[in-house]
Amino acid sequence: MAKKQKLILTILLLIVLFALSWVVNIAMDSYVRRIINLCLIYAIIGLSMNVTNGFTGQFALGQAGFMALGAYVVGVFTVPVKLRASVFYAVPMNPLIANIQLPVWAALIGGGILAAFVAFLIGAPVLRLKGDYLAIATLGFSEIIRIVITNASSFTNGALGIKDIPTLNDTRYIFVATAITFIFISLLINSSYGRAFKAIREDEIAAEAMGIDLYKHKCLAFMISAFFAGIGGGLYAMLLGTVDPKNFLFTLTYNFLLIIVLGGMGSITGSMLGAIVVTAGLEYLRVFDEPLELFGVNIPLFRPGFRMVIFSILLMICVLFWRHGIMGTKEFTWDGAREFVKHPLRMFHRKGVA
Amino acid sequence: MKFKKILAALLASSLAIGALTGCGGSKKEAGKDGDVIKVGVFLPLTGDNAAGGELELRGIKLANKLHPKVMGKKVELVVADNKSDKAEAASVAARLIEKDKVKVIVGSYGSSLSMAAGNIVKEAKVPAVGTSCTNPQVTANNDYYFRACFIDPFQGTVMANYAFKKGAKKVAIIQEVSNDYAVGLAKFFKDAFEKLAGPGSVIETANYQTGDKDFSAILTNIKAKNPDAIFAPGNFTESALLVKQARQLGIKAPFLGGDTWETQEFIDVGGKDVEGVAFSTAFDREKATTPEAKKFLEEYVKEYKGEPSALSALAYDAYLIAINGIEKANSLDTVKIRDAIAATKDMEGVTGKTTLDKNGDPIKGAVIKTVKDGKFKYLDFVAPGK
Repeated sequence: MAKKQKLILTILLLIVLFALSWVVNIAMDSYVRRIINLCLIYAIIGLSMNVTNGFTGQFALGQAGFMALGAYVVGVFTVPVKLRASVFYAVPMNPLIANIQLPVWAALIGGGILAAFVAFLIGAPVLRLKGDYLAIATLGFSEIIRIVITNASSFTNGALGIKDIPTLNDTRYIFVATAITFIFISLLINSSYGRAFKAIREDEIAAEAMGIDLYKHKCLAFMISAFFAGIGGGLYAMLLGTVDPKNFLFTLTYNFLLIIVLGGMGSITGSMLGAIVVTAGLEYLRVFDEPLELFGVNIPLFRPGFRMVIFSILLMICVLFWRHGIMGTKEFTWDGAREFVKHPLRMFHRKGVA
Repeated sequence: MKFKKILAALLASSLAIGALTGCGGSKKEAGKDGDVIKVGVFLPLTGDNAAGGELELRGIKLANKLHPKVMGKKVELVVADNKSDKAEAASVAARLIEKDKVKVIVGSYGSSLSMAAGNIVKEAKVPAVGTSCTNPQVTANNDYYFRACFIDPFQGTVMANYAFKKGAKKVAIIQEVSNDYAVGLAKFFKDAFEKLAGPGSVIETANYQTGDKDFSAILTNIKAKNPDAIFAPGNFTESALLVKQARQLGIKAPFLGGDTWETQEFIDVGGKDVEGVAFSTAFDREKATTPEAKKFLEEYVKEYKGEPSALSALAYDAYLIAINGIEKANSLDTVKIRDAIAATKDMEGVTGKTTLDKNGDPIKGAVIKTVKDGKFKYLDFVAPGK
């Protein structure tokens, strides 16, 4: 297919999806909308994590911390001023910020910028590390961010959390945010920066020998990743309407690690797919949590928590079949789609399994 | 290759079962919809808070067993697990309302989980009765959230009054700063105590994080200031270690705490050192005088073979508040049920008579307990509004 044709198809697909998000927003109940929105938000954060972990090959685990920054900027600055006294009931809000109320979009972008700035500060010492050491250091920094938030009570209300954040359970806006993230990261990955990232992932020494400034590119990837994680965190806070530091324990990062590993490290469409499979899949499996009577006998296995067992088994099967995630480092392409439509079974034959 | 096929078959069949049970369930429910009233049970049954959630589920199930009917119809519990996770809590609350069409929700353990559901019940206009979510923010600015437990400010104030009554003139506070519950209690303890004993009577406020094991730095500092009593609200494991280490350092001052201490683990970890501590809680079996409480105690022992905890009792009461609301409203209109719940007055439950105030918080007394000979013992009762 010609390049132009593909571009038109992609734009058409985005328009169709946007129209679909409009329909979802009108026709679906708030439960379905919430799940779809959560999928989209997790896709943003999954994509952001893929920039460092998948494309640049740096194993960083700081996503929960950057999300927390984004979420808290939205939380602190968008709660209506007249409700603040009831939220900050233990320690009054610091007078410096007590009367500042930002519009939602400004707070969202502000959260992203703050996260990127903190990533810049952290990046300088941390990005010299490699592999496991980088993972541990970034994990530590994300915990530091959380503990600072817990202790800065007059700004963040500490452990008590913030509520009455204006909520946004509107699929259209969240879809637009996801689409922008998707387009930006696709363009980035296919630019000279993206090729440099991939070169670093494949072989750092070779990349440096080719004249790629390692530090600059790693730092850039880290900051972009943090920026979108911050945006995702802000949307997450608005979806829930409340945040508290315990949301952002390091275990939250593993959720996104799962998404990108399942979707495929180094695949943009894979991250989207992973986010949908993990989030919607777990919801779908909720039927296993409900009691089941077969022929009048109550089967004791069907009780709360059983879906987690099923989910884990499915994950293991997935990892056995697709060791590099559902998409691997491949992307969804129009050529691939056409191939699939023509010969739906061929893709299974081609894929060599261990 | 064969292995792969078997796996594929397994995967496909498990998904198929999922789909089948999903459809089967909804068909069955549709048939009976006319004669059951659905009550959503919204609790953390997996994850960090699963232990608390399980105890509360017991209370609610027992309540459902003893009070299975309202308005002549059967009450069906729809149990949903919120995984101790905020995002999950929001989704599952929406699911209970939109998919299961519950008329009222009971739960949750954990204030942050309830807060995540707050907006959803408010928008859908379906009332919710919290079991043990003690953060004042849960019901603040939310007409659709109520609760069965007393709130952090009340508990902190009760302990401050108790300390003052026992002759303490200067106290120290050691709070688990990453725990919303502990921070809330400490704040209101400080306010109340300074009002009673004059400003400056709280001589030290020290912080520790969830999971800390060594408290010697904080305690050495506090020992030098020699307080009459130490208020240390927090998680039971950390608190027990804290008391233990304080005694080893030779601190003789009595320790005061909150209702989280009422678990067997607190005594197991603390051993002899936690003897004589005082804490507030919602329920004591010796003080439980209402007929409902007697029934609850008898049935609980029969059903679960063990002593009921305050959590189970509170969850039982939360169910009763919800059922009473439906009964009084005599309608399945959720707004009418909400109004009826808001008007709850002198409802007899396990933890005494419950009256809800304008925020939706109960006005009820607290029990003060201590540890004696490795067992929890009743010490005092504090009436509401004191």
